[in-house]
Amino acid sequence: MTDATDLKVTAASDIEVDREALDASIRKFTGPNGDYYVRALHKIHDVTGFVPRTFNIWAAVLGPIWAASRAIWGMFWAFLILEIIAWVQIGRGAWGNPGADMAERAARQQERAQELMQRANEATEQADIDGFTKLAENIQKAADSSFEKAEAAQAEALGIMLTGLVLLTVFKLIQGLYADQVYEKQYSRWRIDPEATESGRSTRNIVMGVVLTLLIGPLIVYKFTVNASLALLDAFPEQEVSAMIMGEGAGTIFSNLASWMEARIDAAAAAGGDVFDGIVAGVRGVLDALTLALNGSPWPVVMLVIVVTAWRVAGPRVAIFTSAALAYTALLGYWAVAMETVALVGAAVILCVVIGIPLGIWFGKSRRAYNMAEPVLDLMQTLPAFVYLIPIIAFFGTGNPPGILATIIFGMPPVIRLTALGMRGVPDSIKEAAVAFGASKWQLLKDVETPLALPSIMTGVNQTILMCLSMVVIISLIGGGGLGKEILEALQYAAKGPGLLGGFAILFLAMVMDRIVQGAFRREGRKD
Amino acid sequence: MSEETVIRVKDVWKIFGARARDAMRAVKDEGLGKPEVLERFGCVVGVQGASFEVPRGEIFCIMGLSGSGKSTLVRHVNRLIEPTAGTIEILGRDVSAISENELRRIRAQQIGMVFQHIALMPHRSVHDNVAYPLEIRKVSKSKRWAISDHALGLVDLTGYEDRLPTELSGGMQQRVGIARALASDPEILLMDEPFSALDPLIRLQLQDQFKSLVAQLKKTTLFITHDLDEAIRIGHRIAIMKDGVIVQIGTPEDIVMNPADDYVREFVQGISKLKLVKAHSIMEPLDSHKGSLDGAPRADEGADLDQLIDLSVDTDQPVVITEGGTDVGVVTKPRLLRGIQGGKDD
Repeated sequence: MTDATDLKVTAASDIEVDREALDASIRKFTGPNGDYYVRALHKIHDVTGFVPRTFNIWAAVLGPIWAASRAIWGMFWAFLILEIIAWVQIGRGAWGNPGADMAERAARQQERAQELMQRANEATEQADIDGFTKLAENIQKAADSSFEKAEAAQAEALGIMLTGLVLLTVFKLIQGLYADQVYEKQYSRWRIDPEATESGRSTRNIVMGVVLTLLIGPLIVYKFTVNASLALLDAFPEQEVSAMIMGEGAGTIFSNLASWMEARIDAAAAAGGDVFDGIVAGVRGVLDALTLALNGSPWPVVMLVIVVTAWRVAGPRVAIFTSAALAYTALLGYWAVAMETVALVGAAVILCVVIGIPLGIWFGKSRRAYNMAEPVLDLMQTLPAFVYLIPIIAFFGTGNPPGILATIIFGMPPVIRLTALGMRGVPDSIKEAAVAFGASKWQLLKDVETPLALPSIMTGVNQTILMCLSMVVIISLIGGGGLGKEILEALQYAAKGPGLLGGFAILFLAMVMDRIVQGAFRREGRKD
Repeated sequence: MSEETVIRVKDVWKIFGARARDAMRAVKDEGLGKPEVLERFGCVVGVQGASFEVPRGEIFCIMGLSGSGKSTLVRHVNRLIEPTAGTIEILGRDVSAISENELRRIRAQQIGMVFQHIALMPHRSVHDNVAYPLEIRKVSKSKRWAISDHALGLVDLTGYEDRLPTELSGGMQQRVGIARALASDPEILLMDEPFSALDPLIRLQLQDQFKSLVAQLKKTTLFITHDLDEAIRIGHRIAIMKDGVIVQIGTPEDIVMNPADDYVREFVQGISKLKLVKAHSIMEPLDSHKGSLDGAPRADEGADLDQLIDLSVDTDQPVVITEGGTDVGVVTKPRLLRGIQGGKDD
């Protein structure tokens, strides 16, 4: 403890700034040329307003290269681009030919006029001679005007160059004025995190700055100031490169790679034919059972069951809405296709849940398995559906079962993810208690983990249902039936009326499913 | 109290980490300390050579601050944690040698455990929580409910069977936890800081309730706590742990009167000795007192300081201590006052 006499209460205004410690820290940060930056940063630190009081000559002269040497890369890129814009203006004024386009056009028009004159001279009929002469005169007029314009543009060259010079000066001034300010910000960042913030002046950064400037600057200035620049700079010479790698006349890299992949896929489809047929048969089995139940049963029975389910599970309001939605589909003649859609989505959801929940449980328990599966799940969700429709056709053919498989790819990730999340969220203390009372692994899973993860799993199932519904239209592209097919046909003939009616039918189906499932969750939740 | 040893822990070590085996060998061969093991092997030493025995019906408290390894040690008894070295015997059987199935049977039948975080299953009723150990053993539902009714009666929670745990207060939830531990009528109770998360008044009530309950039911109990007051209130014997080592084992009176080292002494300082220190530990031999003892008050050697103070306030004479009717020693006023201070020497 310090003695009471050692403690002095000082008014904030009397506190002296400890320059020495600060100076040492600034010197450590800046490295070479420390004295200058100590003075500059002092000025910045002492100022209360925002008008800069320092001017960094080197930053002004060297521009982006100074920023690079001090590892201020944001400033480097910004002013590299700005200075290049200024240089392009200067270049256009100095050696570019702003009137070149016009002059060229004038020359062409002149030529055409002379050609017409020639034909007029050669012509025998008076009408032809008059016609050609008239045309030639007109074109000659246009050529004259083009010449004038070209000359005017040429005269502007000096103006363009001056603009470029002014821009360059302004950019240099800004850099000179703000360089130390920006550097001071870098210094503040460095104080907080000296490991991740570059400090001092390194040869590597200078070399990098110089090389980048020399590569980017001249090429851009060349491309924009010289009229007929090299064709090489306009487009990537992929034909030539292909010829160089594959040999002359052997096709491009693209065509070779594409045909190679096609052969691989065909070979894989042929080799695994039985497996893929088996998968399709399995999916078809589930779909057929659902279709039989929904479309095979008499329609009044199906309607009654759906409405009663909605009422029991989600209450009278949802039941009324469900009746209205079903009436809409039935009255517009969509009943059979709507039930086909429900069977498609239902089959996809059932398969997602049956495969996804066990996978989710596994990923929830094994961190390593989850880490390996995560990129695959991301891929399944982010890959546009059209991309995997093609291999699905190759492996599984077209029709409803391949459509369901495509739906599963898109719809399964949420249930896997949320099951794993739920499993990981089960408190360790409760699991430990169950083990301490003698629970086996299976009992732990059945009595503790699954019930406690259930809310999360249910959220996953609901999301999966909605994602599967959103695939209904897309799978009609590979021969999937149901309402999606109606919409696709309407799209092909740009039939606005049928398309909209079918769209509403899908919307109502989605809302009915969502309401019923959510109602079921709410009822589940009320028990707790 | 029968003399049969129910729990016997012999030289148990627990080292956490991927290279625990190597670290263990190095500790045995070279006598490495905790920091060296962490530095060389990246392993944390949880328990260092703990040994103790608990006879039937005893409440054995393990007291230590957080990180002292007490929770780790108690989890060895039902093998929630496997020891790196050493043996643990329950009723004469080495638990690390038994099969997985047998272990589960012992956990369900012979060991009840109560947790600091209570750890009831939120989706099951109080009934089904209490009966869970029985459910694991596939006892029929009617039997289960009958037993859980009885267990809930023991902790005064009759009438709450069909509530969910979240509807009960913290103290009631922990009583459900105790009922669950008692439900399968186990030989051994493991109490892992059961009352730490409760507020002080409820804690006192539960301590008393628990102590009398265990005395009635004659359960052998390992009781973990970080609170020395609690250990003294509840325990027949106390083990004090520091950094994975058992520093001292003894009766509450032993610990308070003869702390083994400065660490224990510091703990003991704030403890009230009035009900703890008995006459026999502060008395002097009869012949050391020169004056007459006629008319001096008499007390049994088991009398505590509180009683001795009552006897000696109204007299100038020392208190004579008797054992089975014969005088064995005296407690003078200076001795008594020093005793209240905590056995400080004159």
